[in-house]
Amino acid sequence: MKQTLSSNYILLLILTVVAALVAFNVTQNIMVKTVVGLAILKFWLVAFQFMELKKAHPFWKFLIILFGIIFGLIIMIIL
Amino acid sequence: MELKEKSIYYPPGGILIWIIIYLELITFGMAIIALAYYGSEERDLFHNNSLKLNKTIGTINTILLLTSGFFVAKGIQYFKVQHIKKTLLFFNWAIVGGFGFLVLKSIEYYEKLKVGLTMDYNSFFTFYWLLTGFHLIHVIVGLVLLIVISFSIRKKQIEASFEDIEASASFWHMCDLIWLLLFPVLYLLF
Repeated sequence: MKQTLSSNYILLLILTVVAALVAFNVTQNIMVKTVVGLAILKFWLVAFQFMELKKAHPFWKFLIILFGIIFGLIIMIIL
Repeated sequence: MELKEKSIYYPPGGILIWIIIYLELITFGMAIIALAYYGSEERDLFHNNSLKLNKTIGTINTILLLTSGFFVAKGIQYFKVQHIKKTLLFFNWAIVGGFGFLVLKSIEYYEKLKVGLTMDYNSFFTFYWLLTGFHLIHVIVGLVLLIVISFSIRKKQIEASFEDIEASASFWHMCDLIWLLLFPVLYLLF
């Protein structure tokens, strides 16, 4: 459990750095999809691991997954 | 406690904080989608103005919030096994991280105001000030909650139940969640 939190934290930091690097080094279309995808992945990691949503009823898990998918898709379609 | 958390009525921190979290996420989500929509309508304006934002400060602030959230999660973990000393240590570091965010945000705001990039400068900066401003208010409220529960744990006040502490931690993580959605759209995508 202790290791799960630490490894998730390190993963979150790596994803943040990767998103920043991608934002400056690839074409607009790929950049939007990658950066939004990474943001949603980080969003889920924080919700499930740090907020312990992984222990909650499936209803609450479903809502956070649905929110991430809808938000990510709308941003990708618009941009 | 595990069994209670599996109930639909008892998500970690309690049902009320999760109703607030989803309402906040929907509200901020709609505002960020509006930012993306207007950005797609005026691509050049949003691109040129997004270049005026300090991306280094934005990235460091993301790392500060993630680190602070990690410390809160560790604090909760130690509180569950009644390791009060370590709980307080991690909560204190989380509070330091939160104050670090406030300091960097103040520097960023000062830089913008100094060169006249106020809310009515253009539509990009209207979104910038409104979204980051509302987020900042949430961070301040989250910090106050963290300080209050740390004080409460230190004084061994029985009024602060585990659910109160977990709810305050969830509010702090919510600030993290909102920033994780806001930062890339505002600072990186245009």
